Amino acid sequence: MTRHTRNVRTFTTAALAFVMAASGGCRSKPRPGGEAGATMSHGGDLVVSVRTEPRTFNRLAARDTSTDLVSILTQAKLVRINRVTQEVEPWLAESWTRSDAGLRYTIKLRPNVTFSDGHPFTADDVVFSFEAVYDEKTGSALADSLQMGGRKLRVTAADPSTVVVAFPAPFAPGLRILDNLPIVPRHKLEAALKAGTFASAWGLSTPPADIVGLGPFVLSEYAPGQRLVFTRNTHYWRTDASGTPLPYLDRVTADIIPDESAEILSLESGRIDMTFSSVAPESYALVKRAADAGRVKLMDLGVAYDADSFWFNLKPGAFAADARAPWLQRDELRLAISMAVDRQLFADTVFLGAGVPVYGPETPSNKKWYAADAPRAPHDPARARVLLGSVGLSDRNGDGAIEDAGNRPARFTLLTQKGRPSLERGAAVIRDELKKVGLVVDVVSLEAGALIQRILSATYDSVYFDPGTTDTDPAINPDFWFSSGSAHLWNMMQKAPATEWEKRIDELMARQIASPDEAERKRLFDEVQRIFAEHLPVIYFVAPRVYVAASARVTNLMPAVSRPQLLWAADTIAVKQ
Amino acid sequence: MTRLFGWTLLAAAVVAASGAPLLAPHASDDQFRGLLNAAPTFPHLVDDSGHWHRPFIYPWTLVSQLEQRYEQDRSTRVGLVWFTRGRLVGSADDSRAPLMLLGADSYGRDVFSRLLFGARISLALSIVAALGSMLAGVLIGGLAGYIGGGVDDLLMRASDFVLVLPAMYVALALRSVLPLVLASGTVFGLLAAIFAVVGAPFISRGVRAIVRAEKQLDYAVAVASLGAGHARLLARHLLPAARGFIVVEITMLVPAFIVAEATLSYVGLGFPDPVASWGTMLHDASNVRAFADFPWLLSPAAAMFLVVLGLNLVMEQSGVAPVMGAPVAEGAGRLQSE
Repeated sequence: MTRHTRNVRTFTTAALAFVMAASGGCRSKPRPGGEAGATMSHGGDLVVSVRTEPRTFNRLAARDTSTDLVSILTQAKLVRINRVTQEVEPWLAESWTRSDAGLRYTIKLRPNVTFSDGHPFTADDVVFSFEAVYDEKTGSALADSLQMGGRKLRVTAADPSTVVVAFPAPFAPGLRILDNLPIVPRHKLEAALKAGTFASAWGLSTPPADIVGLGPFVLSEYAPGQRLVFTRNTHYWRTDASGTPLPYLDRVTADIIPDESAEILSLESGRIDMTFSSVAPESYALVKRAADAGRVKLMDLGVAYDADSFWFNLKPGAFAADARAPWLQRDELRLAISMAVDRQLFADTVFLGAGVPVYGPETPSNKKWYAADAPRAPHDPARARVLLGSVGLSDRNGDGAIEDAGNRPARFTLLTQKGRPSLERGAAVIRDELKKVGLVVDVVSLEAGALIQRILSATYDSVYFDPGTTDTDPAINPDFWFSSGSAHLWNMMQKAPATEWEKRIDELMARQIASPDEAERKRLFDEVQRIFAEHLPVIYFVAPRVYVAASARVTNLMPAVSRPQLLWAADTIAVKQ
Repeated sequence: MTRLFGWTLLAAAVVAASGAPLLAPHASDDQFRGLLNAAPTFPHLVDDSGHWHRPFIYPWTLVSQLEQRYEQDRSTRVGLVWFTRGRLVGSADDSRAPLMLLGADSYGRDVFSRLLFGARISLALSIVAALGSMLAGVLIGGLAGYIGGGVDDLLMRASDFVLVLPAMYVALALRSVLPLVLASGTVFGLLAAIFAVVGAPFISRGVRAIVRAEKQLDYAVAVASLGAGHARLLARHLLPAARGFIVVEITMLVPAFIVAEATLSYVGLGFPDPVASWGTMLHDASNVRAFADFPWLLSPAAAMFLVVLGLNLVMEQSGVAPVMGAPVAEGAGRLQSE
């Protein structure tokens, strides 16, 4: 599911960017975070844990968690979305102006910025980064998130310190979209792009010294299966409010610890300072004890922006030769399932109570876009049985399970990802809850790769999975909403909308993305959510609370609900000496 | 006495497995959602004030759902009832205080009941697989050791090939060509066959060496010179010399197969949840909190230990195998170590 996982739900909040742009431009310094105004302790080491090896050091070629960590620490972007405020902050772009009714942005780059090897950063590097990400041979994980309806942004260098970005169509979130692209050094990678080998450039065998960036740290050591070591980038351009050069830390070590239990034990014992992932509910008690003993800080960040998703294969003809075709793709089945599952029980069992029931893709945390008045399917097993009866499914032989008109059991397979407790437990709860209304569900856990392959090839009955969201604005997530989208989970990349309601959502989202009026955008997206709730192409049950933990010696953290919760602002993290 | 103890352990395992529907207080998939990972509910006869009662239990009260902490409600007694609902014993009020002699797992299922039902699958699977390994191993090793020459080379190289196969990857490849959903009977047959194939080389190598050595001894030569046929010489005189070795191997393979079943369950080749087996139960317990806070989840490991101990004690007293210091079947850990 490469396109899917690459692009699925890269939400961002557009509001402020648009308002700032609409007012004619922006000029500001990125705000230091947390306690940055105070005198921070300079120096020291931070040890974090990641679960997997990076696939590459080239963020444009892969989007796995560990590659993302490398990118966060070693690269920088033109603008940054502050994960706490969800506002756009100038980053490598010092200021910008908007023209042509928002279709054209002229960006002034921050002066006197150099890469970690001392080479000057110019507009050519920005243009090069766009060329690399759009290059078909690169097959970039980020390309789709930097396009609008399949059309690319046109990026040119007006002079060494000025970049002009032209949008192919009105786009309300404006430059927020640039948070998706780390700027890579032309002088290091141009040869690879010309040779058509950019996708394999900066592989894991690349000497760390060759990995050059504009981020706060540089990769100084990679021990496969053990750790990644990052040291301070002495050329980093950012300072705190008192003028102290950032980052505060001398070194960040990322220990590779595949097992979550081992990861939590390491945190509890003080061997690591924080985990890259959030703390799972089943690990909460262990971390809480360490927190009560004063060894770690445990933070409840609130309800996540996303919930695990359950959907059926709605591709027309997918079950043409299947006796279940008359009912497996019906709206009534999905509505019945939504009603059959007790969401509070789901939250109690899967997330140990640390979650809230949800009924759509937006959770209450996303205050700006969440439609509180969208229709909901309350827990009502009796009503669910009636709905199932309306598509010909009823208990014809009195065995408690329901059958179709041909007396065949109403049975389907639910695929989920192996090794993900919340998914495996969630799938088990769905199976048990649906058994109560007579539906038989065969849960099959697959490795991520095998699962994604089946989703991409539409060879499945239903899936329970976490496509993942990183931000909040629906306009940044067209792949999910548009029927032509590569993350339109239930029926991807349609040439024309398969249903009237998808066609209507396409129309509404096209207007929503282009509208300069925030109230109008909200109204349009509320309408989209209402249509979504009526047809339930994806069913959501519970959004978990997000917990993170860090060693007590770590200071100046700016925890955010969206991932990565702590390390998104790595340059301002400090440790007590 | 020691042998009796061994027989007692084995008999207990057999009774537990065969009598599970009567002995277990609950079905293997009954869930008590408010008691995830709750501690065992021990039966009492005397309350806090020193008064005697018929057997009763105290209910658990949830203190912290997220931390999964419970406290006993000592102010309330819930009696036990006998021979009701087709069970030997159970709580008089399952909704308020279910009887869970070994606590609950992470889905709120009674570990004791699952242990009994799991014994049926795990013991049957491991015993069938071990017998399959024995039959194949004895046949291959016996023929190789007796015939020698090219047959010996062929059979031993085939055994070596199985030994060097990365069993887990082979299992994964096998899984990928099988249907997504497999019936429990199919899974049982598949696992038994895989384990038999993986375990056979460890027996065949030892049997081959023993037969080859015994064949040179005077008694074997004498039997042959008296006119005994090849089959009789092999089956009646040479293979019995490997009896001790085979028994030791089987006592090692049985628990290894139980755990291997858990490993294969993880890659999707084993029994799917909520089917109870000792292996899948142990897999559920494979996290640090099980050791620290929910040790009752490890009861399948204790059951496995007792079964193996029983096997060893019985075999030792039968004069066929030492309890300790026996050669360890290297195959025992192959599946789960890869």
